Amino acid sequence: MAGRPPRTIATEAIVLRRRPIGEADAVLTLLTLAEGRVDAVARGIRKPQAKLRGHLEPVTRSRLMLARGRSLDVVAQAETVDAYLSLKGDLDALAVALYCCELTELAAPAQTPQLELFHLLANLLSALDAGVRPASAARYFELHLLSAAGYELQVACCASCGSELAEAESLFSAAAGGILCPSCRAGATGRLLSVRAQKVLRYCGRSGLEEFCALRMPTETDAEVRAALGEAVRTALDAEPRAAKFLDQLGERP
Amino acid sequence: MPETSATPEPILRLVEALHRLPGIGPKSAQRLAYHLVRAAPHEAEGLARALLEARERIRYCSRCVNLTERDPCAICADPRRDQATICVVEQPLDVVAVERSGIYRGVYHVLHGILNPMEGIGPEHLHIDALVARVAAGDVREVIMATNPSLEGEATVMYVQRVVAPHGVRVTRLARGLPSGADLEYADTVTLARALEGRQEL
Repeated sequence: MAGRPPRTIATEAIVLRRRPIGEADAVLTLLTLAEGRVDAVARGIRKPQAKLRGHLEPVTRSRLMLARGRSLDVVAQAETVDAYLSLKGDLDALAVALYCCELTELAAPAQTPQLELFHLLANLLSALDAGVRPASAARYFELHLLSAAGYELQVACCASCGSELAEAESLFSAAAGGILCPSCRAGATGRLLSVRAQKVLRYCGRSGLEEFCALRMPTETDAEVRAALGEAVRTALDAEPRAAKFLDQLGERP
Repeated sequence: MPETSATPEPILRLVEALHRLPGIGPKSAQRLAYHLVRAAPHEAEGLARALLEARERIRYCSRCVNLTERDPCAICADPRRDQATICVVEQPLDVVAVERSGIYRGVYHVLHGILNPMEGIGPEHLHIDALVARVAAGDVREVIMATNPSLEGEATVMYVQRVVAPHGVRVTRLARGLPSGADLEYADTVTLARALEGRQEL
């Protein structure tokens, strides 16, 4: 009996996604503290009288009891730790939260504890809830998610030879994993980044989330950083996040 | 595949067609198919006729985008309905549910879905532009958002509010809180917070 795995686990989790199945059930994608990304079934959750319903909404941090099932775990108990109510009342913040949840789902391997990623996402949601600028929070999350997932971008020195970067417009190559010096950029594809955009990326890497979100930058620098990080995320995760389109659509509206 | 080779081709095709319907698994599809081929001929023919008739005669209402036989639909064409109040719902079945309450006298707008950015469902997949056009045409006083009280429902409410509000109409949403027969002890933070916000004087 000693080696037998436990039949239930108690863990904190952030609900990343909820997909309906059957008449009233749903499959949840969770980022748990104990086991990283886990899919679990929540039975009867779509019925109006379901007691667990509100505790298992996407973008909610909850304490869960998961029972081991044959293929998927089953949510046995749930209690909200933070529902991020203010965030959910702000469309721009909510769109960023959904985008970051999707990135987390793409980046986190299944059944592997991801403490750094869990705290990064939890901090992001708390900061959005506290009212930081959503677009800056998204950029911060993209850069730090790449580090947490093992694809740290080289923005302080050349991503290829490691030499110091001169204060000049440089090539950012998502495939090379960062900024390239003039001698390494021959033949490489990417986008040119202004000195200001490079500085923003470096500051993003070393500052805290709130500090970075307090930074005001010109619209064109914002666009450069956004394009570079978006490309880096798509390249590293080898996927096109669906929620990114909605973020773009919100940006288009006056 | 001995089971497959023992099954006649027309039944296999029927099972396959039924399996494509929402909520019908492979076993249910098999049961339904065998029931239909064993049932009295008029039963299967009646079903086939009803299916074809529904597909041929049902269309979208050009005003509210609900499913209808006549355009405009009976609700939009009813002069007793308040055309200045539009209740926005996700699905045609929600119109049936609100009508069942018997107290709403306005008209509807069916979005045929809900914003779900993570599943790639954006505003362009819903009939939001048609709603904005109705509002922009004037004579609308209030838009009542009657989407489900889920995260996606809330996102839809906020998005519609953002695109409709510039036209100067009042945008409201259905009240949220504890369902009748609920247990306060098990209520989640969001529901309780909304119930407190929406409390009413006795």
